[in-house]
Amino acid sequence: MLEITNLTCGYGGIDIVKDMSVSVNNGEILSVIGPNGCGKTTLLRAAAGLLPYKSGSVKINGRELISFKRRSLASEITILSQDGVNGGYSGYTVYETVMLGRYARQGRAFFNKTSADDVNAVEACLGRTGIQDLKDRLINELSGGQLQLVFLARAFAQEPSLILLDEPANHLDLKHQLVLAGLLYDWVKDGKSVIGVFHDINLALNISDRIMVMSGGRNVICGDSRIVSRSAELSDVYGFDLSRYMRQAFAVWT
Amino acid sequence: MPFVPAFSLIMHRSSRLAAAAAALILSAFAVIIAGIAIGSVYIPPGQFLDIIANKFFGTPLENAADGNISNIVFSIRIPRSLIAFLTGASLSCCGAAVQSVLKNPLASPFTLGVSSGASLGAGLVIASGVAFMGGFTLAFAGLSFGIVTMLFMVAFSSAIDKSMQSSTVILTGMVLSLFISSVVTLLANVRDEKYKQIMKWQTGSFAGRGYEYVFILSGVLIISFIFFMTKTRELDGMSFGDEHAQAVGIESRKTKISVLVISAVLSGTAVSFTGVIGFVDLISPHIARRLFGANHKILIPASAFIGGIFTVICDLAARTVIAPGELPVGVVTSIIGAPFFAAVFFKRHKK
Repeated sequence: MLEITNLTCGYGGIDIVKDMSVSVNNGEILSVIGPNGCGKTTLLRAAAGLLPYKSGSVKINGRELISFKRRSLASEITILSQDGVNGGYSGYTVYETVMLGRYARQGRAFFNKTSADDVNAVEACLGRTGIQDLKDRLINELSGGQLQLVFLARAFAQEPSLILLDEPANHLDLKHQLVLAGLLYDWVKDGKSVIGVFHDINLALNISDRIMVMSGGRNVICGDSRIVSRSAELSDVYGFDLSRYMRQAFAVWT
Repeated sequence: MPFVPAFSLIMHRSSRLAAAAAALILSAFAVIIAGIAIGSVYIPPGQFLDIIANKFFGTPLENAADGNISNIVFSIRIPRSLIAFLTGASLSCCGAAVQSVLKNPLASPFTLGVSSGASLGAGLVIASGVAFMGGFTLAFAGLSFGIVTMLFMVAFSSAIDKSMQSSTVILTGMVLSLFISSVVTLLANVRDEKYKQIMKWQTGSFAGRGYEYVFILSGVLIISFIFFMTKTRELDGMSFGDEHAQAVGIESRKTKISVLVISAVLSGTAVSFTGVIGFVDLISPHIARRLFGANHKILIPASAFIGGIFTVICDLAARTVIAPGELPVGVVTSIIGAPFFAAVFFKRHKK
């Protein structure tokens, strides 16, 4: 699905992601974890076509990312940025916001009316994320968690093959984190893919089949979640014995 | 209380919009007619209808004095009210679109250099006394300088910041505006005998603008309006910010540039015909957003109507408050507009 090879990119001449390779398969959720400033967000932005890269390649189903027009790229990939819920938006209803996800499949406004397909897709995505009741509410009245679901519904409405999520669980309470996990599971069932950046290692472990650990802009270890979680590399990256900490922290439950 | 479009509390969305649209169109007619009827000579509604009937259907006028009044109505009042409405509508359309692409409530063609550029153009013509296009020389110079200033601003900010972040564009526009404004002041001081005339142009007036101005401005407005209406989906996306817009497939940079260029042409035309009219382009979109929500399919036409209505009212005030003297309309729009803007804006932010 997505193949990143020897990617180097960053801001203002400073390389944040350095010579990194990773790929994600169809029907897979790949979690990216790592300490602050390790380049997770930069990687996602480059993969979403929001950040030009210095060298290397990003391929979607074999086709180079930079050869896509923005509109056709949006039918392949979408990204939910971290600042999603802090934007200070106002005046749009939930329905209108989710409808924006159909942009790439619509013609010019004024000459092209919203089609029945678009309406059905939006309704379906509102149903899928369980926010039909909020349909006519204004998005600035919603809680952070609800807004995150609205943006996720918008991403679903876009029908891309890959969704990139930058810390989607940040504003979510535990229950909503589980809802999110369930929605992502369902989403990848029919061969779609997700790359999610997570701070919460447990959430990442629960959600995904494979985990990539990043540090200093490099891919330190990437593989089966169970193996990565017990690896020495993971503890090295965070600078302390992670599995021991987790066992202690979770002893209270057993 | 959170920000809720005012009508949403009482009526269902679609019927609410229809009612509000009808209210706006009716008020537009009402203020235009008020603008025609009220002035140094008051024309009562009955007489006004007589005159209209006489002009279009040849019905006889009741008394001879009506002939003069008819003249006032058709050659002075009607074009003046129309140009006031069109100017307000044009500036407000641009304001709404520019605020959204730059995701900043303080952005407007005014803050982006169109007005100051136009002032410089007009100032140069006044100071030098050239007249290569007859009565249109001033307007032409204003228009070209206004557009060139904003194009220069767009080119400059896109050169120093490839992604054209809003803050870059706005800062560039404001710095350029201030710079050009001081050049205009300098010019006015150097040509002391033209000082008053140059300064006066910067406060705007709708006096003595004939039908040719009405036709040109309405043509440019209609074309630009259709352009904005084809971009409503992009404008909606851009209101969420560049990254959201790009995530759904919008070419944010391209949209930004095209909207800024069209706004420069439209607001440049309006300003060059009338002089600088401030604040309309800032407040109308805010009022429209409060009444109708942010969806541009409705916001753009609503802003245009609100801006038009507001400007006709301001013009009415400008020529009646100290009658038979006349206040500069740009001053009236700012005097009414600034406190109004503050009230609307801070009410929204008060929790």
